[in-house]
Amino acid sequence: MDFMKSLMIAASGLKAQNGRMRVIAENIANADSTGRTPEEDPYRRKIATFKSKFDRELDAETVRLGRIQEDRSDFKTRYEPGNPAADANGNVRLPNVDTLIETVDMREAQRSYEANLNVIQSTRRMLQRTIDILRA
Amino acid sequence: MGISNLSVFQALKTKMQWHQERQGVLSQNVANADTPGYMGRDLKAPVFADSLDKATSVKPVQLAVTEPGHMRASSNGAFGMDRKAGSFEVTPDDNTVVLEEQMMKVTANQMDYQAAATLYSRGLGLLKTAIGRS
Repeated sequence: MDFMKSLMIAASGLKAQNGRMRVIAENIANADSTGRTPEEDPYRRKIATFKSKFDRELDAETVRLGRIQEDRSDFKTRYEPGNPAADANGNVRLPNVDTLIETVDMREAQRSYEANLNVIQSTRRMLQRTIDILRA
Repeated sequence: MGISNLSVFQALKTKMQWHQERQGVLSQNVANADTPGYMGRDLKAPVFADSLDKATSVKPVQLAVTEPGHMRASSNGAFGMDRKAGSFEVTPDDNTVVLEEQMMKVTANQMDYQAAATLYSRGLGLLKTAIGRS
Protein backbone atom coordinates (compact mmCIF):
# COMPACT_ATOMS: atom_id res chain seq x y z
CA MET A 1 0.00 0.00 0.00
CA ASP A 2 1.94 3.02 -1.10
CA PHE A 3 0.91 6.65 -1.11
CA MET A 4 -0.26 6.54 -4.70
CA LYS A 5 -2.83 3.93 -3.68
CA SER A 6 -4.07 6.17 -0.88
CA LEU A 7 -4.45 8.96 -3.41
CA MET A 8 -6.36 6.72 -5.82
CA ILE A 9 -8.73 5.55 -3.07
CA ALA A 10 -9.43 9.13 -1.99
CA ALA A 11 -9.97 10.05 -5.64
CA SER A 12 -12.61 7.32 -5.92
CA GLY A 13 -14.34 8.98 -2.96
CA LEU A 14 -14.21 12.36 -4.70
CA LYS A 15 -15.72 10.88 -7.83
CA ALA A 16 -18.57 9.19 -5.93
CA GLN A 17 -19.46 12.38 -4.05
CA ASN A 18 -19.30 14.26 -7.31
CA GLY A 19 -21.87 11.88 -8.80
CA ARG A 20 -24.08 12.34 -5.76
CA MET A 21 -23.87 16.11 -6.19
CA ARG A 22 -24.98 15.70 -9.81
CA VAL A 23 -28.08 13.76 -8.73
CA ILE A 24 -28.90 16.43 -6.12
CA ALA A 25 -28.52 19.16 -8.72
CA GLU A 26 -30.89 17.24 -10.97
CA ASN A 27 -33.46 17.04 -8.18
CA ILE A 28 -33.26 20.73 -7.33
CA ALA A 29 -33.41 21.78 -10.98
CA ASN A 30 -36.54 19.68 -11.48
CA ALA A 31 -38.27 20.71 -8.25
CA ASP A 32 -41.11 22.29 -10.26
CA SER A 33 -41.27 19.97 -13.27
CA THR A 34 -44.90 18.90 -13.53
CA GLY A 35 -46.30 16.73 -16.29
CA ARG A 36 -47.85 18.35 -19.33
CA THR A 37 -51.19 16.55 -18.91
CA PRO A 38 -53.05 15.40 -15.76
CA GLU A 39 -52.15 11.78 -16.59
CA GLU A 40 -48.44 12.35 -17.00
CA ASP A 41 -46.37 11.86 -13.84
CA PRO A 42 -44.29 14.79 -12.62
CA TYR A 43 -40.54 14.41 -12.02
CA ARG A 44 -39.71 11.72 -9.47
CA ARG A 45 -36.95 12.44 -6.99
CA LYS A 46 -33.75 10.43 -7.57
CA ILE A 47 -31.51 9.05 -4.83
CA ALA A 48 -27.81 8.32 -5.28
CA THR A 49 -26.53 5.16 -3.59
CA PHE A 50 -22.99 4.21 -2.72
CA LYS A 51 -21.35 0.86 -3.15
CA SER A 52 -18.06 -0.37 -1.80
CA LYS A 53 -15.99 -2.05 -4.47
CA PHE A 54 -12.90 -4.16 -3.91
CA ASP A 55 -10.31 -2.94 -6.38
CA ARG A 56 -7.95 -5.83 -7.12
CA GLU A 57 -5.31 -3.64 -8.64
CA LEU A 58 -5.15 -1.37 -5.59
CA ASP A 59 -5.86 -4.27 -3.22
CA ALA A 60 -8.24 -2.01 -1.32
CA GLU A 61 -11.89 -1.05 -0.92
CA THR A 62 -12.73 1.84 -3.20
CA VAL A 63 -16.16 3.44 -3.42
CA ARG A 64 -18.36 4.01 -6.41
CA LEU A 65 -21.84 5.18 -7.22
CA GLY A 66 -24.36 2.34 -7.22
CA ARG A 67 -27.70 2.29 -9.06
CA ILE A 68 -29.59 5.55 -8.97
CA GLN A 69 -32.86 4.73 -7.21
CA GLU A 70 -36.14 6.57 -7.39
CA ASP A 71 -37.95 7.98 -4.40
CA ARG A 72 -41.24 6.04 -4.15
CA SER A 73 -42.96 8.54 -1.88
CA ASP A 74 -46.20 10.28 -2.93
CA PHE A 75 -46.25 13.38 -5.09
CA LYS A 76 -47.23 16.69 -3.59
CA THR A 77 -50.41 18.34 -4.86
CA ARG A 78 -51.36 21.99 -5.21
CA TYR A 79 -54.71 23.55 -6.10
CA GLU A 80 -54.19 25.42 -9.37
CA PRO A 81 -57.16 25.02 -11.77
CA GLY A 82 -55.60 27.09 -14.55
CA ASN A 83 -52.62 24.81 -14.92
CA PRO A 84 -52.75 22.51 -18.00
CA ALA A 85 -51.66 19.62 -15.77
CA ALA A 86 -54.53 20.11 -13.32
CA ASP A 87 -57.02 17.25 -12.90
CA ALA A 88 -60.84 17.54 -12.78
CA ASN A 89 -60.72 18.90 -9.21
CA GLY A 90 -58.12 21.52 -10.12
CA ASN A 91 -55.21 19.84 -8.33
CA VAL A 92 -51.78 19.72 -9.91
CA ARG A 93 -49.36 16.96 -8.95
CA LEU A 94 -45.88 18.30 -8.16
CA PRO A 95 -42.56 16.40 -7.88
CA ASN A 96 -41.80 14.78 -4.51
CA VAL A 97 -38.71 16.96 -4.15
CA ASP A 98 -38.19 18.85 -0.91
CA THR A 99 -35.62 21.57 -1.51
CA LEU A 100 -34.70 21.67 2.17
CA ILE A 101 -33.81 17.97 2.18
CA GLU A 102 -31.81 18.42 -1.01
CA THR A 103 -29.91 21.34 0.51
CA VAL A 104 -29.01 19.33 3.61
CA ASP A 105 -27.98 16.40 1.44
CA MET A 106 -25.85 18.74 -0.63
CA ARG A 107 -24.07 19.97 2.50
CA GLU A 108 -23.36 16.41 3.51
CA ALA A 109 -21.93 15.62 0.09
CA GLN A 110 -19.78 18.72 0.35
CA ARG A 111 -18.44 17.69 3.77
CA SER A 112 -17.58 14.20 2.53
CA TYR A 113 -15.88 15.69 -0.52
CA GLU A 114 -13.81 17.96 1.70
CA ALA A 115 -12.85 15.04 3.91
CA ASN A 116 -11.51 13.18 0.89
CA LEU A 117 -9.64 16.28 -0.24
CA ASN A 118 -8.15 16.51 3.23
CA VAL A 119 -6.83 12.96 2.95
CA ILE A 120 -5.28 13.80 -0.42
CA GLN A 121 -3.61 16.89 0.99
CA SER A 122 -2.26 15.02 3.98
CA THR A 123 -0.96 12.19 1.79
CA ARG A 124 0.72 14.69 -0.51
CA ARG A 125 2.47 16.29 2.45
CA MET A 126 3.74 12.91 3.60
CA LEU A 127 4.95 12.18 0.07
CA GLN A 128 6.66 15.55 -0.07
CA ARG A 129 8.39 14.85 3.23
CA THR A 130 9.71 11.57 1.83
CA ILE A 131 11.17 13.39 -1.14
CA ASP A 132 12.73 15.90 1.27
CA ILE A 133 14.85 13.10 2.73
CA LEU A 134 16.66 12.99 -0.60
CA ARG A 135 17.50 16.67 -0.39
CA ALA A 136 18.82 16.59 3.15
CA MET B 1 26.25 -2.93 4.52
CA GLY B 2 23.49 -0.61 3.45
CA ILE B 3 22.05 2.24 5.43
CA SER B 4 18.88 0.30 6.16
CA ASN B 5 20.89 -2.32 8.05
CA LEU B 6 21.61 0.19 10.79
CA SER B 7 19.10 -0.38 13.57
CA VAL B 8 18.00 3.26 13.79
CA PHE B 9 17.18 3.45 10.10
CA GLN B 10 15.56 0.06 10.13
CA ALA B 11 13.26 1.02 12.99
CA LEU B 12 12.38 4.32 11.30
CA LYS B 13 11.76 2.52 8.03
CA THR B 14 9.34 0.13 9.70
CA LYS B 15 7.56 3.06 11.35
CA MET B 16 7.26 4.93 8.07
CA GLN B 17 5.96 1.82 6.35
CA TRP B 18 3.36 1.42 9.06
CA HIS B 19 2.19 5.02 8.66
CA GLN B 20 2.07 4.63 4.91
CA GLU B 21 -0.04 1.51 5.25
CA ARG B 22 -2.29 3.24 7.77
CA GLN B 23 -2.81 6.20 5.46
CA GLY B 24 -4.15 3.76 2.89
CA VAL B 25 -6.54 2.19 5.40
CA LEU B 26 -7.74 5.61 6.59
CA SER B 27 -8.30 6.81 3.04
CA GLN B 28 -10.46 3.72 2.45
CA ASN B 29 -12.49 4.65 5.52
CA VAL B 30 -13.01 8.23 4.37
CA ALA B 31 -13.86 7.21 0.80
CA ASN B 32 -16.46 4.77 2.15
CA ALA B 33 -17.85 7.19 4.75
CA ASP B 34 -21.29 7.09 3.06
CA THR B 35 -21.35 3.44 1.98
CA PRO B 36 -24.07 1.44 3.76
CA GLY B 37 -22.75 -1.49 5.75
CA TYR B 38 -19.09 -0.46 5.58
CA MET B 39 -17.11 -1.23 8.73
CA GLY B 40 -14.35 1.26 9.56
CA ARG B 41 -10.91 -0.21 9.95
CA ASP B 42 -7.58 0.71 11.41
CA LEU B 43 -4.13 -0.83 11.69
CA LYS B 44 -3.00 -2.31 14.95
CA ALA B 45 -0.36 -0.22 16.61
CA PRO B 46 3.01 -1.91 16.33
CA VAL B 47 4.30 -3.40 19.57
CA PHE B 48 7.99 -3.31 20.29
CA ALA B 49 8.10 -6.96 21.35
CA ASP B 50 6.48 -7.91 18.03
CA SER B 51 9.17 -6.24 15.99
CA LEU B 52 11.74 -8.02 18.12
CA ASP B 53 10.04 -11.34 17.40
CA LYS B 54 9.79 -10.65 13.71
CA ALA B 55 13.52 -10.13 13.42
CA THR B 56 14.21 -13.62 14.72
CA SER B 57 11.23 -15.76 13.71
CA VAL B 58 10.25 -17.22 10.34
CA LYS B 59 7.92 -15.44 7.94
CA PRO B 60 4.19 -16.41 7.96
CA VAL B 61 2.93 -18.78 5.27
CA GLN B 62 1.35 -17.07 2.28
CA LEU B 63 -0.72 -18.35 -0.61
CA ALA B 64 1.14 -18.49 -3.90
CA VAL B 65 -0.11 -16.18 -6.65
CA THR B 66 0.15 -18.09 -9.92
CA GLU B 67 -2.47 -16.23 -11.96
CA PRO B 68 -2.90 -12.49 -12.26
CA GLY B 69 -6.55 -12.88 -11.16
CA HIS B 70 -5.64 -14.43 -7.80
CA MET B 71 -6.30 -12.38 -4.73
CA ARG B 72 -3.64 -12.22 -2.11
CA ALA B 73 -4.77 -13.89 1.08
CA SER B 74 -3.24 -11.30 3.38
CA SER B 75 -4.18 -7.88 2.11
CA ASN B 76 -2.03 -6.07 4.64
CA GLY B 77 1.38 -7.68 4.59
CA ALA B 78 3.29 -7.01 7.75
CA PHE B 79 0.82 -5.18 9.97
CA GLY B 80 -2.26 -6.60 11.68
CA MET B 81 -5.66 -5.17 10.77
CA ASP B 82 -8.08 -4.06 13.45
CA ARG B 83 -11.55 -4.74 12.10
CA LYS B 84 -13.81 -2.73 14.34
CA ALA B 85 -11.93 0.39 15.24
CA GLY B 86 -13.21 1.88 18.49
CA SER B 87 -15.82 4.04 16.87
CA PHE B 88 -18.08 6.73 18.22
CA GLU B 89 -21.30 5.55 16.65
CA VAL B 90 -22.93 3.29 14.12
CA THR B 91 -25.35 4.92 11.70
CA PRO B 92 -28.71 3.25 10.93
CA ASP B 93 -27.27 1.93 7.65
CA ASP B 94 -24.54 0.02 9.55
CA ASN B 95 -21.72 2.38 8.65
CA THR B 96 -19.19 2.83 11.45
CA VAL B 97 -17.07 5.59 9.91
CA VAL B 98 -17.14 8.94 11.69
CA LEU B 99 -15.51 11.61 9.55
CA GLU B 100 -14.29 13.73 12.47
CA GLU B 101 -12.56 10.74 14.04
CA GLN B 102 -10.97 9.84 10.70
CA MET B 103 -9.72 13.40 10.18
CA MET B 104 -8.07 13.28 13.60
CA LYS B 105 -6.43 9.99 12.73
CA VAL B 106 -5.25 11.24 9.34
CA THR B 107 -3.71 14.32 10.94
CA ALA B 108 -2.04 12.30 13.70
CA ASN B 109 -0.76 9.85 11.13
CA GLN B 110 0.67 12.64 9.00
CA MET B 111 2.42 14.28 11.96
CA ASP B 112 3.94 11.03 13.17
CA TYR B 113 5.13 10.26 9.68
CA GLN B 114 6.71 13.68 9.37
CA ALA B 115 8.43 13.21 12.71
CA ALA B 116 9.86 9.87 11.56
CA ALA B 117 10.93 11.34 8.21
CA THR B 118 12.63 14.25 9.94
CA LEU B 119 14.46 11.86 12.28
CA TYR B 120 15.52 9.85 9.25
CA SER B 121 17.03 12.83 7.50
CA ARG B 122 18.69 13.94 10.75
CA GLY B 123 20.21 10.47 11.01
CA LEU B 124 21.53 10.82 7.48
CA GLY B 125 22.97 14.19 8.51
CA LEU B 126 24.81 12.49 11.36
CA LEU B 127 26.30 9.98 8.95
CA LYS B 128 27.38 12.79 6.67
CA THR B 129 29.08 14.52 9.57
CA ALA B 130 30.82 11.26 10.43
CA ILE B 131 32.29 10.92 6.95
CA GLY B 132 33.40 14.53 7.03
CA ARG B 133 30.93 16.25 4.73
CA SER B 134 29.02 18.69 6.82
